[in-house]
Amino acid sequence: MSDAASELAATRRLRVAVHAADVLRRNALSRVVAAAGHIVVGAQDAADVVLADGDSPPGETRPVVALGRVDADLAGALSRDASAGQIDAAIRAVSAGLIVRAPDAMDLGFGAMRETDSRALLTPRELDVLAALAEGMTNKAIARRLNISLHTVKFHVESLFRKLGARTRTEAVAKASERRRHETIML
Amino acid sequence: MTDQADLLTQFSNALATRAEAAKSAIVAVRLRHERHITGVVWRPDLVVASEQSLPQRDDFEVVAAGGSVVAAKMAGRDPATNIAVLRLAGSIASPSIAAGEARTGAVALAIGADGTGGASARLGLVNLAGAEWHSSRGGLIDRRIVLDVRLGRREEGGPVLDAAGAYLGMSTFGPRGQVIAIPTATIERIVPLLLKDGRIARGWLGVALQAVAVPDALRESADQSSGLMVMSVVENGPAAQAGILAGDIILSVDGTSTRRFRNIAKHFGSDSIGRKADVRLIRSGAVMTVQTTIAERHAA
Repeated sequence: MSDAASELAATRRLRVAVHAADVLRRNALSRVVAAAGHIVVGAQDAADVVLADGDSPPGETRPVVALGRVDADLAGALSRDASAGQIDAAIRAVSAGLIVRAPDAMDLGFGAMRETDSRALLTPRELDVLAALAEGMTNKAIARRLNISLHTVKFHVESLFRKLGARTRTEAVAKASERRRHETIML
Repeated sequence: MTDQADLLTQFSNALATRAEAAKSAIVAVRLRHERHITGVVWRPDLVVASEQSLPQRDDFEVVAAGGSVVAAKMAGRDPATNIAVLRLAGSIASPSIAAGEARTGAVALAIGADGTGGASARLGLVNLAGAEWHSSRGGLIDRRIVLDVRLGRREEGGPVLDAAGAYLGMSTFGPRGQVIAIPTATIERIVPLLLKDGRIARGWLGVALQAVAVPDALRESADQSSGLMVMSVVENGPAAQAGILAGDIILSVDGTSTRRFRNIAKHFGSDSIGRKADVRLIRSGAVMTVQTTIAERHAA
């Protein structure tokens, strides 16, 4: 291995402190970080990068990758529902001194409380089906997971398409995620 | 022909004069990575800027007209109205600004700081001047002012002026890069509160919510067609302590239906902190009521 290559290999595992108010989010983000081959460290431990769900801790001086927040001090800004691949890439990039901005994170902005027309609101069951669609599952697999008939799955998928104004499964997932981004209420 | 040219020249000169005059009403708020945003000199020792673009820290530096650098401390920030106030270590001579009323179709001049003590200018129209609105973070904004103006990232937070040079509001970005203004009336209302307490106290349960349709089978017992599903619960927050779980669908708070969120927002003003609230919700097919104690929302 050349010197340059061994240096790369040595820097591949990064120490990442995960900051999130919600314990489920913290666990999920810690899993993403660990699965990408990094070491999850405690909030106060020495870390190469801080991954923050929303606001980073005040006065943080280490490079921060923030989800769902953009300001000019941040080294990295991704949307709240960034993929595992984006999170890993952003962590590596900011540890190398780069600035990372996801285009959809720049779409954030000071917006109005949006309320979907009640006829277009999804039911909890439709949200379950949507989560499965987002994982790329087939109707058959969804039926098995939710313990419902194939016919019922098709019914839910059609209803999702209608309510979200989508023609394909990918489009339905994208539109639902956009809705979630704009309409999640923190109370 | 000569008359037209004169009019255009007059128009152009008037704009340039306004931009020149506005230079002393703005500062550049320095950020990392050689960047900055714009702030308005609200009083000789106070600067108002866009909360969403200011990092979470206490100490800042601003560049005033002519290029002098002044230290500033965060005096208060309110994410719900996107207003932050910085207190300057010294004072800056600034022109007094008259508040103006936005009118749809009127000319709007947006001023930004160039970072070295000068100004940049953008011209456009008030695309829409509408009624009051609620932000996604629960704040009341006195008027909806949408601008047909391009704005650079570093110009955010600068003053938006009308043709008479009156202050319509502070420029900022809405979703998808839309340029809007926070009306002067909102800034006048919020700044004194921020100077008093450093924040606008709001009630908090510690949940992220998304509107959902109530399943058909439960509509009758729930007595409403939609509610707010709990997507996540903040660890040790009031909702978590009351045993509220992700997946619960909140139907009402103290008898006020969650069908329209803005009605609920009124229940979580500064007077709500410490109050007990009855939360009616659906959990695994049954309607139940849980009592919570509203806490104070911490910074952002």
